[in-house]
Amino acid sequence: MGLNLKFFDALKFLVRKPHTVRVPYEKKEVAKRYRGIHVNDWSKCIGCGNCAKICTCQAIEMVEIPTLEPKMGQTNLRPQVDYGRCSFCGQCVDVCPTGSLKLSTEYEIISSDVKDFKFIPNLNHDSGPGTGWESDTETSFLDFNRVEMPERDPAERKKDFEWVLEGFSEEEAIFEATRCLGCALCVQGCPTGMYIPEYINAIFHKNYEKSVDWMFVNNPLPEICGTVCTHRCEEACVYHNRGQAIQIRYLKGFAAGKVPDYEKVVGISKKRTGKKVALIGAGPASLSCAFYLRREGIDAVIYEAQEAPGGMLKLGIPRYRLPQSILDKEIDFIKKQGVVFKFGTRVGKDITFEKLHEEYDAVFIGTGYHIGMTMGIPGEEGKDVFDAATLLKDVSLGKEVKIGKKVLVIGGGDVAMDATRTALRLGAEVVILSYRRRYVDMPASDEEKHEAEAEGVQFLTQTLPTEIVRDKSGNIVKVKYVETEMVYEEGAKRPKPVPKMDDVKEWDIDTVIMAIGQKPDWSYLPEKWRKMLKFDKRMKNIIVNDDMMTDIEGVFAGGDVVNPRKDAISAIADGRKAALGIIKYLGIKR
Amino acid sequence: MAKIRDFDYEYFIGPQHPGATGNMSYHVWAEGDTIIKIEPNLGYLHRGFEKLTELRHWIKNFPLILRICVPEPDINEVLYAMAIEELNEIDVPERAQYIRIIVLELARLSAYLLYFGGVAGTIGLYTVPQWTIGDRDYILDLFEELTGGRVYHIYQTIGGVRRDIPEGFKERVLKTVDYLEKRLKDYDNLFFQHPIFEKRAKGIGIVDKDAALRFSVTGPNLRAAGVNYDVRKKEPYLIYDRFQFDVPDMYKDGDTYSRVMQRRYEFEESIKIIRQAAADMPEGPVNIKIRNPFEYRVKEGSVYVKLESSKGEYGFYVVSDGGVKPYRLHVRGPSFSHGLQLVRHIAKGTNIADISMILFSLDVCPPDAER
Amino acid sequence: MLKNGVLKMKNEEQIKKDIETTFGELVKVHIKRRHRIKVDAPKNMTLPILAYLKQRGFHQFTLLTCVDWIKKGMFELVYNLYSLDYNVHVLVSTHINRENESMPTAINIYEMAFDYEREIHEMFGVEFEGHPRLGEFLLEDWKGMPPMRKDFDTRAYVEEKFNVKDLTKELFTRKEQPYRGPGSNG
Repeated sequence: MGLNLKFFDALKFLVRKPHTVRVPYEKKEVAKRYRGIHVNDWSKCIGCGNCAKICTCQAIEMVEIPTLEPKMGQTNLRPQVDYGRCSFCGQCVDVCPTGSLKLSTEYEIISSDVKDFKFIPNLNHDSGPGTGWESDTETSFLDFNRVEMPERDPAERKKDFEWVLEGFSEEEAIFEATRCLGCALCVQGCPTGMYIPEYINAIFHKNYEKSVDWMFVNNPLPEICGTVCTHRCEEACVYHNRGQAIQIRYLKGFAAGKVPDYEKVVGISKKRTGKKVALIGAGPASLSCAFYLRREGIDAVIYEAQEAPGGMLKLGIPRYRLPQSILDKEIDFIKKQGVVFKFGTRVGKDITFEKLHEEYDAVFIGTGYHIGMTMGIPGEEGKDVFDAATLLKDVSLGKEVKIGKKVLVIGGGDVAMDATRTALRLGAEVVILSYRRRYVDMPASDEEKHEAEAEGVQFLTQTLPTEIVRDKSGNIVKVKYVETEMVYEEGAKRPKPVPKMDDVKEWDIDTVIMAIGQKPDWSYLPEKWRKMLKFDKRMKNIIVNDDMMTDIEGVFAGGDVVNPRKDAISAIADGRKAALGIIKYLGIKR
Repeated sequence: MAKIRDFDYEYFIGPQHPGATGNMSYHVWAEGDTIIKIEPNLGYLHRGFEKLTELRHWIKNFPLILRICVPEPDINEVLYAMAIEELNEIDVPERAQYIRIIVLELARLSAYLLYFGGVAGTIGLYTVPQWTIGDRDYILDLFEELTGGRVYHIYQTIGGVRRDIPEGFKERVLKTVDYLEKRLKDYDNLFFQHPIFEKRAKGIGIVDKDAALRFSVTGPNLRAAGVNYDVRKKEPYLIYDRFQFDVPDMYKDGDTYSRVMQRRYEFEESIKIIRQAAADMPEGPVNIKIRNPFEYRVKEGSVYVKLESSKGEYGFYVVSDGGVKPYRLHVRGPSFSHGLQLVRHIAKGTNIADISMILFSLDVCPPDAER
Repeated sequence: MLKNGVLKMKNEEQIKKDIETTFGELVKVHIKRRHRIKVDAPKNMTLPILAYLKQRGFHQFTLLTCVDWIKKGMFELVYNLYSLDYNVHVLVSTHINRENESMPTAINIYEMAFDYEREIHEMFGVEFEGHPRLGEFLLEDWKGMPPMRKDFDTRAYVEEKFNVKDLTKELFTRKEQPYRGPGSNG
């Protein structure tokens, strides 16, 4: 073992190609998973800023791109990376909810200008899909699956009018609340702009009082909204881009349900200003408006034609979706604030609009769409044909409604779904839903469709009833219908259903419910006043200014008669806005 | 400070890598070329990691905490994850445990290669560092493929690892460790059996058993002093109790030579572990969903976790107050005992020419002493 | 590590019993899990416990650390000792007041405490009575509040030290200036 031998041992490496040094320079082939330069796909990026939030080195800053037009659930901010600070850890990629961000296998930026090392990533350095550090829903830090709301068994629940939902357990709610990243894009989706990240965070900390406190800032009916809201916030949620949105609605309902007495949290306003406002209709718009007026010390008197408060919440939404106990709890709290309700008082009949306008400092119109429309097909006059609005109203008010065993519901909206499911609960054995467009075109929300299907409603899409056939004693025996086909017309937003009139088919039916739309009832408004108001082209909606004031001085409006969305949360938003407008109009300092 | 009399020279070693893998300096008083007093002088690498972790969310500390140690960053990540997992009682998926073992042992191999090169460099055998750095690159290539980073991997996360292993990765790991095992023979010829090395290293910088215990020496340095202590055996963390490996115990002298040779044989044991881990690795998930990195909380409490690094026992003392950020994180680096008090003791009476080799053979890494 | 919990912990229980019988009720001993014992001791009992454990074969002074419980106004000092024979870490924890309270030094029992106490003194400002050299250790010319204390504001320090107002903003504007480094024409 002399030194010489070892010397020759080393000699064999003289001709071997070295692994590390490459002369002349060769660009290194990096591994597929290499973490190099940032790439951001702007078509996916929504500017939520979570990448900037997780960056340990604060290398990412969100900068405003003025040329970008932000859509709903997006901002015009885009991440800017400073390579003087970046540590290429890739955590920004793993937290990106949309998957727009990645680190490519490119690693060379050569420049003599230091400014080039701070830039707004786009697709410039992209090395192609499947290379670099990417994240999918599996590898992301985030959990893209929501906690599903437990529901009662469809076979059981269709027998009664009890609530179909079972409600979250505390554990489930907190587990779901953990998912909220606090990026607040959902607030854009909410008509009234609720403080969603704040109240979800409070739920996470089991501080339900604080949570409810946040909700009452701009929604006096949180538990109702937490049960039946159309949850546009969930469409704006960052998780919605690649997975399931956070259960914002039910979390709200859960937290509000955990606080039995709102008075402890919100308190009752002792303010008095001596001003008074009349509100027509006891629906969500008026309730919301009255609540915020009372908070500022303005007396609010609600005139309601029915004997019960709630408007469409009470009359339009069946009890298995919104239990009476929740309605009572929230409306009682509004009553407690000092809001006066005059039930069974129909404006125009029991008291005139002029009188209201004279006696009160301001008037708020919060009436709804209570008249159901009919199709105008042969045979629809007579018994066993209902319009959905009346049917639901009668059922809600506890009137006895008799329907047959084989029910046809016409329409594809939420009201149609409510009608089918109410029909099932009234004892119908077969419920057919006829809709003239395709399944995907139905305006009803997905969950209502699924729930109706689970309960056994048959969906017959692309069908159009043409005639209701009655026997001699006037009972319905058949409904004739035709199928439609979808025709794309140039320039049209969606295809148009065209009936195939020559092929007439039949169903065995004994009851028909039409849920094809509703319209407002303007009969309480004298012709003179109606002319002073400004309506939109289709004579449906009142046009109001930013303070929700109509063209008549001191007359405000909100809810279904104003906004095109016609849902509870928009009505609440309108009511609150109108309250602020009234406060401004009456010159009250807040 | 007591006045030192009868010295001829007073000078500094460092702070430019005085034979330690980082910047620290030693203030040396020598009589002729015999050292009579040595005083470590730290502070060149203090970056306040412990304070910085208190200001960041739990998850955000992964890219930060591993920067404590350059040659072997993975131990920091794994320890930090282990601490969180112990406090929150998380069961880490099996597959992730096996991947962690492979990562840790590969990191140990790469740290040892750097160590061999460093020790050889201090006595002028410059071919060795060139070879070891070259061979270390094969391991770095594996890391690049697995984690996306070459040196700082940022691969661990709470409850596992961030990505599954790529296709064909196990085969390439086995190929690389086969190659490294073959290369050990070349290193034997070139370095470990080199007469110069044997002459220079034997009997130098002796840390005998008593001194080792007195100065809290751990790791290979302690084993080279004849105390068979290995955290992987004594307190098996992760799943080390499932693997067959030995702790070499043929060197008991505690001198520089023993310390180097101890590591040379442990190198083979690490290869054994990697082979077993690659063979036994089950299928399955590699991490758990932490759901929301900004609201991730760790249960209130304190925990001391430790593992066997290439330098010795590496530990984290983590305190959580139940919040989104660590309340306190103390890093117990082995170099804090090896590089300060122990060096004060053993450097006395040694030659100036030997001090670099002694320091490097102890594997003193100032970053983990200063944090 | 739940699975360790069900294993027999003979050594741990032995040490717990011994410490409890030797030092009485003022000392609380918890077995946290296998290989880990936490001892909560009053200040005057701490060093006797260390001495006792040293004599019992706890040779390794693994670490000394300090936790700043600012809300309680206390520093928690944690001495971590390890014994090869028992294979157990004993974490002896004691609380002292944040202000105006010192701790006797442990260097007469464990030599290794020397540098740890210097570090704790520098980073937290804890005085160790009888320590011969509690001077500068890691920091240089540090005059202000010890930096590891919870009320030390890192951002304010950086802003003052490097004369920047809003840190993030300043860094970005600074980089807007032309770069005059190597390879630049400016």
